[in-house]
Amino acid sequence: MIAVIGLAIGVVIGLLVHPTVPAELQPYLPIAVVAALDALFGGLRALLDGIFDDRVFLTSFLSNVLVAAFIVFLGDQLGVGTQLSTAVVVVLGIRIFSNVAAIRRHLFKA
Amino acid sequence: MARHDSHVPESVRDASMTLLTEVQRRPLDPGYAEAARRRALTGAPHRGGRTAVWLVVVGLLLGLGVTTATLSLRQPQAGAVAARRLLEQQVRQHRADAESLAAQNADLSAQIAALQNQALRSDDPALLAQLQRWAVSAALVPVSGPGLRVVLTDAPSDGTTKDNPDLRVQDVDLQVLVNGLWAAGAEAIAVNGQRLTATTAIRTAGSAVLVDLVPLVNPYTVEAIGSAADLQTSLARSSAGQHLATLRATYGIGVTMTSQRRLQLPGAGPTTLQEASTPSMTASASPSPTPTPTPSPTPTPRTASTPTATPSRSVRAAAGEVVTQSSVVAPGTGGEDR
Repeated sequence: MIAVIGLAIGVVIGLLVHPTVPAELQPYLPIAVVAALDALFGGLRALLDGIFDDRVFLTSFLSNVLVAAFIVFLGDQLGVGTQLSTAVVVVLGIRIFSNVAAIRRHLFKA
Repeated sequence: MARHDSHVPESVRDASMTLLTEVQRRPLDPGYAEAARRRALTGAPHRGGRTAVWLVVVGLLLGLGVTTATLSLRQPQAGAVAARRLLEQQVRQHRADAESLAAQNADLSAQIAALQNQALRSDDPALLAQLQRWAVSAALVPVSGPGLRVVLTDAPSDGTTKDNPDLRVQDVDLQVLVNGLWAAGAEAIAVNGQRLTATTAIRTAGSAVLVDLVPLVNPYTVEAIGSAADLQTSLARSSAGQHLATLRATYGIGVTMTSQRRLQLPGAGPTTLQEASTPSMTASASPSPTPTPTPSPTPTPRTASTPTATPSRSVRAAAGEVVTQSSVVAPGTGGEDR
């Protein structure tokens, strides 16, 4: 739970402080946010499954964001940035949908 | 690897969809299941204070980063906004520049005209009178008088054909009408407030009709100064009248003619000097301001301006005189020349 508290404090600070993102990081933001969403929903589902673990949650969160940004970076270097981004969004999107479906089954039993 | 999502039967698997089924069947990070199994084996892990601090710090940083990213994505791109604002500002700036230049142009041409009148009034009143007469014919000055107003409107769209050019008033319709009006004895013509000079072209660019390079929009109001009754009769007898009747009957283009007791037509503005020559008696003494393309072999009279067949605005100015900025074209020569 302690990781979630840290995360919440970070979100609040971000909302209050409004830091600016360096221009060279801008292209990686969309994919990183989608990856973060995937990790968030994964963590929520694990929580409902009763197998939530702080360390796994943070590690998956961190690695998701970094790998997503790295894939976009690699794609840009190879000239297939948009295609690779699409692939990442498809995979993460399916995962998010499946996890949300599991969460829904947990919460509403339907 | 733990497969904790066992409610999907194995038969659903399709070899060609391995990746997608894998993603769909096992959406949760396997790490969770592994950690849970480890916990079940060894009991709840003992975490020291350092681990907790680490977890909080990493969680805090991640939350901060994701929030920042989301916020900056929600904002419109600062660069695009700035570029757009810059462009808008430039458009506005240049438009204002063009307007002020046009005003300056009108001001200067008024000055030129005043100076010209002043110089000629003492020197050569006859020339001045002729110049003023010709300025009217050359459509340089605003004129007013009774006349005929013809309004052409696009045919109402029938809905089935989206963009049928036949239903629109085209350049050729305006050309026929204007030529018919000239032939019928109109003294001055303007289309939507654009005064027609000897060199005015009526053309189509895309779906817009350009008169003197100014795009006009439906409805097209053609105003001709002259005797309205005569104009109307002559127009009806001419081929232009038949053309208008065809437009009305076949294509449904609106043609309304009204006689007006007083029409006010704007001037076409100043013209540029295109041709000038000196009288031959002083030709050797002073060079002409602009080389004449075709020097006339005979001495050019001071007031010479032969109505030329070409629609070019030509002025033969006498040397030593104020070089006139007006173009002189006899009425009726250029108007039908399109």
